[in-house]
Amino acid sequence: MLEVFFNPSSVAIVGATPKEGKVGRVLVENFKKWFRGKIYPINPHYTEILGLRAYGSIGEVPGPVDLVVIATPAPTVPGVLKEAGEKGVRGAIIISGGFRETGTPEGERLEEEVKQISRSYGIRVIGPNCIGVLDRWSGVDTFFLPEEKMKRPPKGHISIISQSGAFASALLDWMAYHGYGMSKAISFGNKIDVDEIELLEYLAKDETTKVIFVYLEGVKEGKGKLFVKVAKEVSAIKPVVVYKAGKTARGGVAAASHTAALAGNYEVYRSAFRQSQVLEAVSFDEIMDLAKVLSTQPPMKGRRVFVVTDAGGIGVMLTDALVSHGLEVPETPSDLREALRSMLPRHCVVGNPIDLTGDADDERFIKVIELLLKRDDVDAIVVVALPQIPGLRGTLFNYLLEAKGRGKPILAVIIGSEVAAKYRRLLEEGGVPVFESPERLAKALSALYIYSAIRLHGARQ
Amino acid sequence: MKADEIIKKALEEGRTKLLEHEALEIVKLYGASVADFGFARTPEEAGDVAEKIGYPVVVKVVSPDISHKTDVGGVVLRLKSRDEVVGAAKKIIENVSVRQPGARITGFLVQKMAPPGLEVIVGGTRDPVFGPVVMFGLGGIFVEILRDVTFRVTPVTLQDALEMMIEIRSAKLLEGYRGQPPVDKNALAKIIVAVSDMMEAHSEIVSVDLNPIMAYSSGALVVDSRVIVGRVR
Repeated sequence: MLEVFFNPSSVAIVGATPKEGKVGRVLVENFKKWFRGKIYPINPHYTEILGLRAYGSIGEVPGPVDLVVIATPAPTVPGVLKEAGEKGVRGAIIISGGFRETGTPEGERLEEEVKQISRSYGIRVIGPNCIGVLDRWSGVDTFFLPEEKMKRPPKGHISIISQSGAFASALLDWMAYHGYGMSKAISFGNKIDVDEIELLEYLAKDETTKVIFVYLEGVKEGKGKLFVKVAKEVSAIKPVVVYKAGKTARGGVAAASHTAALAGNYEVYRSAFRQSQVLEAVSFDEIMDLAKVLSTQPPMKGRRVFVVTDAGGIGVMLTDALVSHGLEVPETPSDLREALRSMLPRHCVVGNPIDLTGDADDERFIKVIELLLKRDDVDAIVVVALPQIPGLRGTLFNYLLEAKGRGKPILAVIIGSEVAAKYRRLLEEGGVPVFESPERLAKALSALYIYSAIRLHGARQ
Repeated sequence: MKADEIIKKALEEGRTKLLEHEALEIVKLYGASVADFGFARTPEEAGDVAEKIGYPVVVKVVSPDISHKTDVGGVVLRLKSRDEVVGAAKKIIENVSVRQPGARITGFLVQKMAPPGLEVIVGGTRDPVFGPVVMFGLGGIFVEILRDVTFRVTPVTLQDALEMMIEIRSAKLLEGYRGQPPVDKNALAKIIVAVSDMMEAHSEIVSVDLNPIMAYSSGALVVDSRVIVGRVR
């Protein structure tokens, strides 16, 4: 049902214009840049816009139109939508504001009218008052922010559902800057039709989406039960990370009972997230930390983490962080200890963390990781490779990119300036998550463990 | 009486809070184990009920007008004989007539004193977004000060209920500490499910507080039940 928003073969842009600085121009520019289907700019004042043949109305377009993007003032929207309905359009993304969000009777009336028209013609609607859809695979892009202001992330596997358009744009720009790939982003504004529940169902089946991130302010009244049901079904297919905005209690509500007094908005949401087996990110940092680990790493079969480090101090910090997040950093088994002893210089520490010390080189790291990858009693490997030591020349990082396909989660800690940044980017673009903070790594890895347990055993362990 | 009859009667009489014995009866009907109780109209009847239940018992005033029973001298604990029970009920009538004159006295709740155990609270309420939800937490400071509770959207299964008990921060107390044996989690889970079933079955139930529930190494007893009802929207 929602396919038309992501993979239309033709798009009409109502309110298209060649005028600099206008939303209608940015929309045409962005579609031209990335979208491979037919683009029909609609504006009665032009016969041509940015090199494309323009039409006076949707009705004048010669071929079929799958999707219409509307960016004209609110009072014109009902008329445009009706015309789209007559044309047989199946989906509309209404960018225009001026509806219920204005708090005026006129805005409410217009929104009601739009709702009626969409129902009677069977047109699915995203919006109004939204930034719509950005799909890096199909090139649909109604985020009316010019590329020089908001970079687009590379094609990838994180999809985003956001109740806030501004937050979605900022997040995408940030992802692009850090090289994190994405599949789809949707912001639905006043959500008169398509909502987060239906989008979750859609993304669950979407092949290019491996992790779904949801920025949620609130589910509509009475829809909570359905949210829990659907989120649980989707979590059984792929990880869902939710960030709930508005965590503080609604004050001043006279409560009929003890239970009602404790059932603040967020408390119930938090429990509902648990019940639906979605993963909750509780801070901005966690959103991307969880998404990048969950979108790149295979399931973690148990909680045993082995740390390979060239810096003893970071190894200790990591151990503390991992253990306090419910993971284990077990003693090195005796047969592994012997194997390590025979291959490493005497001053290296063969416990866990395995400390290769400051004179380590790429080969020393690779030999040890190679051993760990072969063992059934190792559930995840964390490589602490501080690049300041002279022996690290870079082959380790290329090796890690290959090792990531060998069935075990591999994460890295790299701290430092330009050289560190270069390696970090190399690894992250290749699907090996890199952290500066041992604590953040531990939190994200524990989320992978929790999700793996849900997938493998049906429940948190 | 059946659960819907209890609710209907309360609403017809213009009450939004079920009387003590009604509130206990309704959770019992849904399968929660409740400390033995009976309802008596007069002090003499209270004595009869106590004889049937066995001692020690507590006697509480039942009145649609009194919300804080203890404050008006409407509760007498640890009664060990028929005479004590009859005397206590008479004393309650006297106390109420002095401290809240005009309050109607429907009768008395006579309830077996539950032996001390780990106090927990189970509740139910209606959330505008999620609909009926149930709550679980440890009683006393854990709920009052630390707000250490967790919720589930109904319908709640036994499995869900058991997960709730792992989720609270003070979960370890349920496992027993300082030589105490672990509490009977299955018995508590049954009570949680009972509240879920009640909330699902009766849209007139606005909220439920079972507080306290005494949890033991074997079994658990609901000691106090507060059920608020209202007309369906």
